[in-house]
Amino acid sequence: MECIITIELGTNAVRIFAFEMNGNIIASMKGSYPTFHTKPDYSEQDPEQMFITMLYVLKNLLTEKIHPKKYNVAIICFSASMHSVLAIDDRGVPLGNAITWSDNRGKVEALELKNSSLGTRLHDITGTPIHPMSPLIKIAWIKNHDRSRFEDTYKFLSIKSYIIQQLTGEYAIDYSLASATGLLNIQTIKWESEALAYAGITVDKLPELAPIFHSPGKLRKEYQKSLGLSPSTKIILGSSDGCMAALGAGVWGEGKATITVEDSGAVRVISKEVLRDDRHRFFNYILSENCFVSGGPTNNGGLVFEWFARQFGDFKNPYEVESTIENLIREASNVAVGSDGLLFLPYLLGERAPIWNANARGSYFGLNINHERQHFIRASIEGILYEIYSIGKTLEEHRSIKRLSVNGSFASIPFCTQMIADIFNKPVTISKNADSTSFGSFLVGATDIGKYKSLEEAAQTIELTDTFKPNQSNHQIYYRYFEIFERLSANLANEFEAIASLQQKH
Amino acid sequence: MNQFIFQQGQAKELHVFPHILEFALKKINNTQLNSLNPTAAECVRMYFVHDGKFEWIINGNKFNLYPGDLAIVLPGQIFGGENGILNIGTLIWLNLKVESTESGRILLGSWSDLSESESITISKILLFNSAPILIKLRDRTTLFQNIKNELTSQEIGYTTRINHLLDELFITIARQITRQNNSQRDFPQTFLKLEQTLRQNLAHQWTVEEMAALTGLGATAFNEKVKNYTGFSPLNYLINIRISEAIKLLDRPEENVTGIALTTGFYSSQHFSTTFKKLTGYTPSEFRKRNLPRKQ
Repeated sequence: MECIITIELGTNAVRIFAFEMNGNIIASMKGSYPTFHTKPDYSEQDPEQMFITMLYVLKNLLTEKIHPKKYNVAIICFSASMHSVLAIDDRGVPLGNAITWSDNRGKVEALELKNSSLGTRLHDITGTPIHPMSPLIKIAWIKNHDRSRFEDTYKFLSIKSYIIQQLTGEYAIDYSLASATGLLNIQTIKWESEALAYAGITVDKLPELAPIFHSPGKLRKEYQKSLGLSPSTKIILGSSDGCMAALGAGVWGEGKATITVEDSGAVRVISKEVLRDDRHRFFNYILSENCFVSGGPTNNGGLVFEWFARQFGDFKNPYEVESTIENLIREASNVAVGSDGLLFLPYLLGERAPIWNANARGSYFGLNINHERQHFIRASIEGILYEIYSIGKTLEEHRSIKRLSVNGSFASIPFCTQMIADIFNKPVTISKNADSTSFGSFLVGATDIGKYKSLEEAAQTIELTDTFKPNQSNHQIYYRYFEIFERLSANLANEFEAIASLQQKH
Repeated sequence: MNQFIFQQGQAKELHVFPHILEFALKKINNTQLNSLNPTAAECVRMYFVHDGKFEWIINGNKFNLYPGDLAIVLPGQIFGGENGILNIGTLIWLNLKVESTESGRILLGSWSDLSESESITISKILLFNSAPILIKLRDRTTLFQNIKNELTSQEIGYTTRINHLLDELFITIARQITRQNNSQRDFPQTFLKLEQTLRQNLAHQWTVEEMAALTGLGATAFNEKVKNYTGFSPLNYLINIRISEAIKLLDRPEENVTGIALTTGFYSSQHFSTTFKKLTGYTPSEFRKRNLPRKQ
């Protein structure tokens, strides 16, 4: 029997799934790797460790679950988190660690560029917001502050390109992941010369561009042997985690959007046209030719609630954050919708869409003498989801959204999913496939093999059933509090600046 | 408790405890200059605050100690009062002779009933700990009080009991240090700290017990947490780090393979080679040849 393997190089871990051709999951395994914060604003990962972890997990999955059942691996399809940068020398050896999406070292460069006409133009042309996350800014930072690494760099890769090069020997990047670098013109699908000039590099410093279905070549013989794979196993580049999650959630076509909330979160739509916003609040990434994933990301998802749980939850046993969260949510459900007037701004990690303010801070507002601990719990969850709604609401200025598909460990907690339905006042589906990113990768692989004629056809096969229906009267209450939430977020802008600049001095 | 002082060589009670160099309780009623100048010693020194507030400098860092707090000063570390002054209050101290090995390990000696691996783990916890202060050590007065009572009454079995009490003191200290250093709420954070410790000491033959102790968990809970969080057993996770570090070193032409094997914690180049090949499909030297300069 044939199977498809998907490899997701995520923020904290590699997740590998094996699918039967009908989309059923045969098995999945994960292996985590750490993120190092060696200085404030730095977020780095060890490329060798990521590679070894990926190999180790892949090998375990194959020898324990795939080979014993005599599956033939037809395709291995990749996905990875966006925006990573890894400099390598002319031997292919990494020059230092990979810089991940959450790295903020280029904040000065980003702010300068964002406030210039070049910045506005580059956001339009490349689809990637001008932000420290983008490889455009990171490479410029290396040029300005790490001259010797910049001079020694043979190529600037993404983590995925590095790992695929290790496996096959080829340097390649798919249009999709490339469209999140801030260096690609999303209309011509070529590296954008103005962006390259800003970063101080030429085209030869970047890997070859290719479609998401592209195969960069066979596995090196040594890996075929050690993994027990045949030369006929096809490697395909695949896409980014975000685009795959949108594809795997089945939101292709008019009137649908997907909400992902893990540690961070995003609201996304898929369409044939780029989403133009004169206030530049959205990203536009390519999924495949003439198909764009547009939306807004938030920094403050499940991670913020985990923070809350660690500070204020009751831990029965050391490190048992999951059961602590469960108990908190049970408590939150005893509080009325709207938390009796307690509001929470969740910007603990600064914020991206829609306010795009790295200096934004968290805050509880509206506190009165009758509020108890449980109000804080519910207000925290409501605040995180109001932020998601504020992205969705700005998206609705451009696209009509009639139903939502929700995924990610935080958003798919039933209490949170119902709250999303109520706040948005729209029916919500939980994806049948627990891991939308991997399922999206499966659809890419299955399309490549010819099971589907196109990604569109593949995505249409995902049934969206309305499992959570909105409660009208709850929506009315949420909406009124949301209006205050929205005004607070805007009105506090000056105070966010004030406290950030104060903290820089002391 | 009344004041007392036992000193090795002077107090006959300590004849059967050659490892106890000094054990005392003192009430300090006035401050004097140069009453506690910075010194280093060969022994482990413990200072327990019974009452009062003490301002001390240990290893260059300043600490304020309050009743119930305990400071542990390891061999070679410099300890003294701020401005050389011993503050007003009541203090219990205990100086214990230990053997320090070259690798900085502390061996308690034959009086201790701790197994070798337990005592290695405890010494690692003490050594890796940058802030040698235990806050609010619960009921420790009782522990010191018991040692004192056994020492003066000399009832049957008192030597064994005192040595046991000393072992218990070390166990309590080690457990409390790991709990104090890890919030017990944020496993990713604790695990990251552990990973950094492992990477700094990759050549060491880590056991699961040692790793677990550094996170403040028992071996069983630790195993389960690591497996859940990383997808690997602790020892397999360690192999991951060893191989990733080895790949970095292989990319430097000046390093030899045996040297790399030993620095990354493999016990021989053979062991390194087999593990490496099993995981990567290449032997270390094949892997090294793979990365040749590109023709530009």
